[in-house]
Amino acid sequence: MNHVLTIQTRNQAVVLERLLQVTRYRGFQLAGLEMKPLAEHAGLLIILSVVTDKPIHLLTNQLNKLVDVEQLELASETLTALRA
Amino acid sequence: MNGADLVMKVLEQHGVDSIFGYPGGAIMPIYDAIYHSPIKHYLCRHEQGGAFSAIGYARSSGKVGVCLATSGPGATNLITSLADAMLDSVPMVAITGQVPQAVMGTDAFQEIDVLGLSLSVTKHSVLVEDIQQLEATLHEAFRIAQSGRPGPVLVDIPKNIQVAEVSAALHEVQRHTTNDLETVEPHTLTQARQLIAAAKQPIAYIGGGVHMADAIAELQQFLTASSMPSVTTLKAMGSVAKDDPYYLGMLGMHGTQAANLAVQQCDLLICLGARFDDRVTGKLDTFAAGAKVIHIDIDPAEINKLRQPDCAMLGDMKQILPAISTATACQPWLEHCQQLKQQHGWRYDHPGERIYAPLLLKQLSERMPDNSVVCCDVGQHQMWVAQHMRFDHPRNHLSSGGLGTMGFGLPAAIGAKLARPHDTVLAVSGDGSFMMNVQELGTIKRFRLPVKIVIIDNQRLGMVKQWQQLFFNERYSETDLSDNPDFVALAAAFAIPGHRISRKDEVADALEAMFTWQGPYLLHVCIDEKDNVWPLVPPGAANEQMITEHSS
Ligand SMILES: Cc1ncc(C[n+]2csc(CCOP(=O)(O)OP(=O)(O)O)c2C)c(N)n1
Repeated sequence: MNHVLTIQTRNQAVVLERLLQVTRYRGFQLAGLEMKPLAEHAGLLIILSVVTDKPIHLLTNQLNKLVDVEQLELASETLTALRA
Repeated sequence: MNGADLVMKVLEQHGVDSIFGYPGGAIMPIYDAIYHSPIKHYLCRHEQGGAFSAIGYARSSGKVGVCLATSGPGATNLITSLADAMLDSVPMVAITGQVPQAVMGTDAFQEIDVLGLSLSVTKHSVLVEDIQQLEATLHEAFRIAQSGRPGPVLVDIPKNIQVAEVSAALHEVQRHTTNDLETVEPHTLTQARQLIAAAKQPIAYIGGGVHMADAIAELQQFLTASSMPSVTTLKAMGSVAKDDPYYLGMLGMHGTQAANLAVQQCDLLICLGARFDDRVTGKLDTFAAGAKVIHIDIDPAEINKLRQPDCAMLGDMKQILPAISTATACQPWLEHCQQLKQQHGWRYDHPGERIYAPLLLKQLSERMPDNSVVCCDVGQHQMWVAQHMRFDHPRNHLSSGGLGTMGFGLPAAIGAKLARPHDTVLAVSGDGSFMMNVQELGTIKRFRLPVKIVIIDNQRLGMVKQWQQLFFNERYSETDLSDNPDFVALAAAFAIPGHRISRKDEVADALEAMFTWQGPYLLHVCIDEKDNVWPLVPPGAANEQMITEHSS
């Protein structure tokens, strides 16, 4: 399964490392990463793509616990659907 | 006022009375502020020990533990204790000094990226980059450490921020209540009650989350209203009333046979603030395989992490337990479990003169004053404590559960004694574990802390030796400690009296002497190196496949 997580975070220098550390430690493979600062230092918008066989809630539940994560939206598509 | 003074003022605002730490260059301004502060600082002799004392303080009292360290080596020495607090959900605030911002990122003397190091061992961590953020950051650290599922928070403060001037007007502490917790949908509560009422063989699987939610009374009322057998994890020992006839003890790798067998046979498992840890479940897909599961927790990430529940409730245990209480109809099951308990009860008849640790710990448990706190280390003695001592509250049994950290016991006992000066505090250690934070005897000496230390000495790294014996064909690689120091002489060097015993008939008098002595005391108990912990669920096996002393 391919999942795209759209994450809005607080403006903390370390926040990207946190997201990547949790993603790696929980065993999800990173397939893409995009990041841009929101206007007026309001935080960051991070788009994380991961590929995995595991249920995605094992990652999203952990990411949601991070204090700096303010919003997380998930879009998932199966690989077969992608190929079609 | 400067940043360092502000740190101490905010600690005062949060009601902190004791802190544990060790000074050094990058935290000197804070130590200068400590010099004038009413908060009592306890100098540890290794930052790991100081942070374990903060954990012992927090776990025995329910308050936030606070520890301090300098940059670089001071901060790296905290890491193990932060990990311990993380895995056992202990509310702790760790404050580290950092080199001045002007030289950060230049490999300055004693500069280490502690924020980077902290990511996997803290609930949250912050590098303070502006004096204007310091106050709010510290308040937030206390809030995060205690809210939801508690955990350690690290605040790294560069030296120039500690000396920067800041306005003296402090904001008031916002008291946070648990009202912001989600409420459980009424239909979910109904579903839970229906599952409980319909179960023929229900069982409560109780974890540390219950007492951390301050819901011990609610748990005991629930177990009375919804009569069912119960089992606890290592962290939850003491949660169930001592006289509950259907309490079966600890479950898991070294759990009681009654607890493990009953859980394997149950048709409804009610998981209360526990997390299906592998030391509890054995082979996961065989764990309570025929049971429906109700899972109640405060941490959304624990729900459906290892076991899919049939009914899940997120929120405050204190409110949920009364709301799901309902009468059960499972008399034959209750009787069956009681029978299991009788059939597999502990036996203390042990031949010969030598001291049998399970019996000694039972005697210790019976002799210690009510409300004593027992702090354990890690290994066979830790499992014997869990099996053979009785506790009436989880705050009275501090054991490193999730991380299983040797060296935990002695410094944790220091913290517990300071948090609860009127209660007796014991450190029960193995000869291996004791040496891992032995320097904290210096802390005991300095503050004349009347901690009672019991070393269960088998001249081995016993738990590892047991696995070598059972699973590595008796290749005893590096587990021999037969050249241990003379522990009584070692204690004497710290002005702590002690006594060594090796025979059963010496035990009663030795315990009497230890408890009647007013100050700290070390009891060195020599046991047979061949004694092992039973029963044991072998790695990878299901929990009903326990091996016992006679089946092995
Ligand atoms: C810091 C640390 N290092 C290594 C281990 C692995 N370990 C677990 S139990 C044990 C032996 C403990 O020996 P001792 O304290 O004498 O207790 P015993 O098992 O003999 O009762 C070891 C080495 C650990 N848990 N913690």
